[in-house]
Amino acid sequence: MKIEVAYILISIFLFLSGLFGVIIRKNLITLLVSTELMLNGVNVGLVSMDKMVGGVEGQVFAFFVLTVAAAEVAIGLGLVVAIFRLRGYEGSSEITQLRD
Amino acid sequence: MDALLIILFPLLAFLLIGLFGRRLGDLPSAIIAVLGSALSFIFSIPALLKALNSPFSVKLYDFISLGSYTLTLGLYFDPLSAITTSLVCFISTLVFIYSIGYMENLFGQWTYKFYAYLSLFLFSMLLIVLSDNLLGMFFGWEGVGLASYLLIGYFHQQKYATNSAFEAFVMNRIGDWLFLFGIFSIFYLFGSLNLLEIFSKVKEIDPNLLGLAVLLLFGGAVGKSGQFPLHTWLPNAMAGPTPVSALLHSSTMVAAGVYMVARLYPVFESAPQSLKVVALIGGITALFASLAATSHTDIKKIIAFSTMSQLGLMFLALGIGDKSSAMFHLTTHAFFKALLFLSAGSIIHAFHHHARNIYEVGGLKKHMPITYATFFVGALALAGIFPFAGFWSKDLIIASSYEASFGLGVFVSFVSFLTAYYIFREGFVMFYGPERHKEHFEEEPHEAPSVMLVPMVVLAIGSAVVGFFEGWYMSALKDHKEIHLEIAISSVVIALLGIGLAYLVFVKRVLDPEKLYQSLKPVHTTFKEQFFTEKLYHKGFAKGYMKLSRGLFLVGERFLIDGFINLLNFLYFRVVKFLWIKLDIYTVDLFVNSIAKFSFRFGRKVSLIQTGLLNNYVAFLLFGLVVLLGIIIYFMG
Repeated sequence: MKIEVAYILISIFLFLSGLFGVIIRKNLITLLVSTELMLNGVNVGLVSMDKMVGGVEGQVFAFFVLTVAAAEVAIGLGLVVAIFRLRGYEGSSEITQLRD
Repeated sequence: MDALLIILFPLLAFLLIGLFGRRLGDLPSAIIAVLGSALSFIFSIPALLKALNSPFSVKLYDFISLGSYTLTLGLYFDPLSAITTSLVCFISTLVFIYSIGYMENLFGQWTYKFYAYLSLFLFSMLLIVLSDNLLGMFFGWEGVGLASYLLIGYFHQQKYATNSAFEAFVMNRIGDWLFLFGIFSIFYLFGSLNLLEIFSKVKEIDPNLLGLAVLLLFGGAVGKSGQFPLHTWLPNAMAGPTPVSALLHSSTMVAAGVYMVARLYPVFESAPQSLKVVALIGGITALFASLAATSHTDIKKIIAFSTMSQLGLMFLALGIGDKSSAMFHLTTHAFFKALLFLSAGSIIHAFHHHARNIYEVGGLKKHMPITYATFFVGALALAGIFPFAGFWSKDLIIASSYEASFGLGVFVSFVSFLTAYYIFREGFVMFYGPERHKEHFEEEPHEAPSVMLVPMVVLAIGSAVVGFFEGWYMSALKDHKEIHLEIAISSVVIALLGIGLAYLVFVKRVLDPEKLYQSLKPVHTTFKEQFFTEKLYHKGFAKGYMKLSRGLFLVGERFLIDGFINLLNFLYFRVVKFLWIKLDIYTVDLFVNSIAKFSFRFGRKVSLIQTGLLNNYVAFLLFGLVVLLGIIIYFMG
């Protein structure tokens, strides 16, 4: 088994565990962290693919994703804190306004 | 081309009045009708003078081409048709002028229609007289029938008038039907409808077949001239306004039958057997109508029966081979019959159209001197007193019948005795005796306005002098007649006897008319009912036909057709109801309702998925993504 395949597998594992976390965890902070995990899983995938084909575009894109992730975490945390302060919610099970 | 104008003026007047009469008003319409007729008369004079020298034809156009034969419509002028044309136009003009006065109280009530019909009447009659073929004659024949129907029923608010018009139309239809078949058989025999061609070929045809065709043609004349057995419409036609009666009885309608027989006389002559039928019918009608006239009391009906009887005499003369006398009698008769009707109309007008019975009026002599004079001129002419018109023409007929056989001569003399009696009976009752009108009418009788008197006076002068043209007329028709002195004297004496009888009974009252009436009541009733023919036609044929129609209506219409329709309706209703329950309610509604119920329940269930939880949505997202990717990979890979 080549080392690149192991990278891809790690990338998939990271992505799927992030996704799994998003689906089953209720805490808003945990959800945010799980989202970061998914993004980073994708980043690992991009870089390892670049390594496999010998290009640089994936690495450039990974940097973009990092930047976006940083911004997203900042805004996401802001929102979570704002919701907590305003409504006193801690878990996503309390946010059911999408249905109404 | 001038000759064509004769026939065009009345047509033009008819169209003008018929189309624009409402805008023009009634009096201008009347004047247009008079002008149309008068211009026709003026233009007929040169045509008459030309035709006296040499007969000529005016071709109008080719009507139908039938293989080898082309049916051409045209006009034919010979002395017979040209003189009759002038006569018709002259009398019509006078009657039209008279009708302005007579109809004056109706002006403003769509009276322009009356003048349109009159012009149509004149046009149709001129078409009969002038046509050079039988088809054109038939067109005129039908036009006259139509116009007479419209005019007799002119007072259409009265049931009696509409019934009379209907009767006239039906009787004429029977005659027209025979006439049409006569035309067919003539075409079959001769292969042509042109009069001149028919006359030239008449010797080549089998007289028996020709006799049949001629009898059919004569059937048309019987209908149109009101001869027995198609006579009942003629007295009932008196329901129309008096100018119509005058026109109908003098020049336009009933003269058509006599004229047609005279026009086709060469054909009739070649079938001597059918001429006997003509004479027989004429004789029966002459006697029978004059007997009816002696017992009637209606002012106009007496004159109407007199017309019938005089036409019968004309047919009798035609039947015994004396065409020129018959036509001359038609000419003189037109004058004095129009005159008598106009005088009668003047009396009716004097009582505002209410007087109908001669016993409702009396002693009118001093109230209406001019009407009195004109009426008696007409009556003298009709009775055949020298030197009035009727004397000359009737004398010829009497002479011819004495030549034919002595019995026939006595018969005609008897008819003329009756003629003198009944017309003077009417005159004496109306103009002499007590003033009976005071019991029946409030208003005093007054003399007619001059617009009515002038035509009457002109006709009176005509009735007095037209007899002197006998020699000229006979030479125009290329015939020659002797005046038989002994017959002339005897016929005048017979007429005077009739007048004297009427005078004794109705003026001097030597015999009391009421007692006479009581003792002769059955005879009187028989005469008055025209030997019950009218009753037979009305009660027997017409009522029977109505009963039959009603029976057929009940059986055919009500029972069969309506029953069938109702049954169909019932069955259809049942079928539709069945289908409605089975198809609509049990199938369509059930299907639609179940779809609705299913959708509702399914929607309830499915809506439970929508939890509003973020985690679930992400799971759905994953699921959807996997499915989409799976599809893409499955199909793209």
